[in-house]
Amino acid sequence: MSTAREDCFTMEGKLALPYQYFAGLTGSRFLISLRDQKKIKGLKCNKCNKIFVPPRSTCEICFEEISGNWVDLKNSGTVTGFTIIRYEEPHQPVKPPYILALIKLDGADTPLTHIVKGVPLSKMKVGMKVKAMFAKKSTSSIMDIDHFRPVEGKPKFEMGYTYDELEVGMSASFSKTISESDVYLFAGISGDFNPMHLNEEFAKMTPFGTRIAHGALPQSLIAPVLGMKLPGLGTVALEIMARFKAPTYFGDTITATGEVVEKLEKKRWVRMALTWTNQKDELVAEGSALVIPPMPLPQQAE
Amino acid sequence: MVRRVAICAVAQTTYEQDKWYERFQGMALEVLESLQEQTGVDFSEDKGIDMTISVSDDVFDARTISNNAMTDVLGAHFGCEEKVAQEGIQALYYGLAAIQSGHCDLILVLGHCKESQGKSRNMVTHVAFDPFYTRPVGLDFCAAAGLQAQAYAAKSGITDEHLAKVVVRARENATKNPNYPEVTEITAEEVVASEMLADPIRKLHAYPVSDGAVGMILAAEERVREFTDKPVWITGVGNCMDSFFLGDRDLTSNFALKKAAERAYRRAGIEDPKAAFDLVEISDQYAYQQPMWMEGLGICEAGKGGEWIDADGPAKNNVNTSGGMLAGNPLILGGLVRTAEAALQLRDEAGDRQVKGAGTALAHGVMGPAGQFHSVVTLARD
Repeated sequence: MSTAREDCFTMEGKLALPYQYFAGLTGSRFLISLRDQKKIKGLKCNKCNKIFVPPRSTCEICFEEISGNWVDLKNSGTVTGFTIIRYEEPHQPVKPPYILALIKLDGADTPLTHIVKGVPLSKMKVGMKVKAMFAKKSTSSIMDIDHFRPVEGKPKFEMGYTYDELEVGMSASFSKTISESDVYLFAGISGDFNPMHLNEEFAKMTPFGTRIAHGALPQSLIAPVLGMKLPGLGTVALEIMARFKAPTYFGDTITATGEVVEKLEKKRWVRMALTWTNQKDELVAEGSALVIPPMPLPQQAE
Repeated sequence: MVRRVAICAVAQTTYEQDKWYERFQGMALEVLESLQEQTGVDFSEDKGIDMTISVSDDVFDARTISNNAMTDVLGAHFGCEEKVAQEGIQALYYGLAAIQSGHCDLILVLGHCKESQGKSRNMVTHVAFDPFYTRPVGLDFCAAAGLQAQAYAAKSGITDEHLAKVVVRARENATKNPNYPEVTEITAEEVVASEMLADPIRKLHAYPVSDGAVGMILAAEERVREFTDKPVWITGVGNCMDSFFLGDRDLTSNFALKKAAERAYRRAGIEDPKAAFDLVEISDQYAYQQPMWMEGLGICEAGKGGEWIDADGPAKNNVNTSGGMLAGNPLILGGLVRTAEAALQLRDEAGDRQVKGAGTALAHGVMGPAGQFHSVVTLARD
């Protein structure tokens, strides 16, 4: 008998079965209340006074029927335990790394397992007060609470994403309508009083036929994206390049967008693709930026 | 105990990360043939195996009632066969009960699992969770262990260095065990440098995905001598199931393990577990579980897991001289393999890893997220 691997026949298979789960009558009431009223409800055992969540119809300690004893729980709670999930599996609701925590909702006795966002991984602590952030779209499951966020103890400044937190594909944008006064102020800032930006009669003779904004004015709208959104506070811009594709007329609404396209592991820098579009979705300019993302704050470092 | 029951023989395949050259039926056959060779046991109506108890997991096997696909190697053709889908050590409990009830005299226990067949073991354990409340947040046994490890480390002063020490010793022991041909030694530095899976659990703190099979012959006292002159007596058994939802439990309390141990010790007449065992085989799926389960068994002082490792407790208590679960067993066979390893020790057949003069042992199995279900078996030789 040959035991060479090439003589071994294998077949790719898949265990996949569409399935319908019933939440139970008690579970249904919990999930409907979560979906329709954004209310998290617990069930109280009148014998041992314990308040349970997720719902169940019987107290596991006293064997008392508790299915009618609904109590409203708060949307806030305390983290009683957590881990940071760093391995990746298809069944995970968000891309690792993320914080999975046991959260004891105010008013409940049994912690719920859920995701915590909005806190640097290294700053996560047992005892943290968090609040539920409800999902925009219902999935009729516990994910109607999208995640939990810290309630207080917010740092004075919300620092931007660190190199490790940034992922290729993340994007952010900023929009603004360019008015005549913007252009006039920009002329003062730059000293560029070129009549093509300021004098309608002169501008009529140009290929654009009317006044247009300085090219650098819409271009500057990428600064709030990089510096305040993505990566955010603490970012150092090393290079910003732009190719102008179309003019910006007065009254145009320009959207500047930055998207992470490359992480330069060696330097821990990030390259971003930039686009500027107007209200008609026309490309006004495109380019790229190279940035140093914020370092973790000293007190946030491990 | 009314009717004494002994393990008359044990057999195992090697445990490897991918036994691509063997079907699960083939792995089981290897074990069965070894057991028959050791004991001469057969499946005849009058004197043969009365009942086979198989151990398998339908999701890992990707078949409903997967034991029905291997009746030949289970000796189940026209015979009595039952399946345990809980942790494998439960088959031992079941067999013990069947013999003690007087229903059976001779039982074959045979477990198998090819974890490598599935794309991801975490995906298998993920479907153990509830579809409304705990699956959507991505829980699987590894994530649940992370939650437990974090809480336990804070309570028992367990550090990254302690966990590395546990892994280094497990690997070192496993290299002396021919059942783990793939395990190599490792340094503490390598363990500490391995990537995090679910803080504080590192990749090298986790048991590897593995394939293998294990089996044993159980017999009633009056028939034991037909099959062996080195019986290993089951002196006590106990188990306990904790709550399903993680939040309903105190993850660091060892509630279920303490109960399981208490029940086994009571049946075995053990008053001081610290002095009762020459060796201990526990199912340490993750490194933190070795000190934690030892606390639960009452052999290590509660809350002192860190100090116990510092004081070389694992070596002094002869914990997992086989390499333990950290060396790699399929999840569902953990406790059954631990029992087989303990039996080999008590039969003086453990080769390079033999604990000299071992007369008593404890074997432990665990299943469910973050140690939901624990089983404890106490064993002794003549």
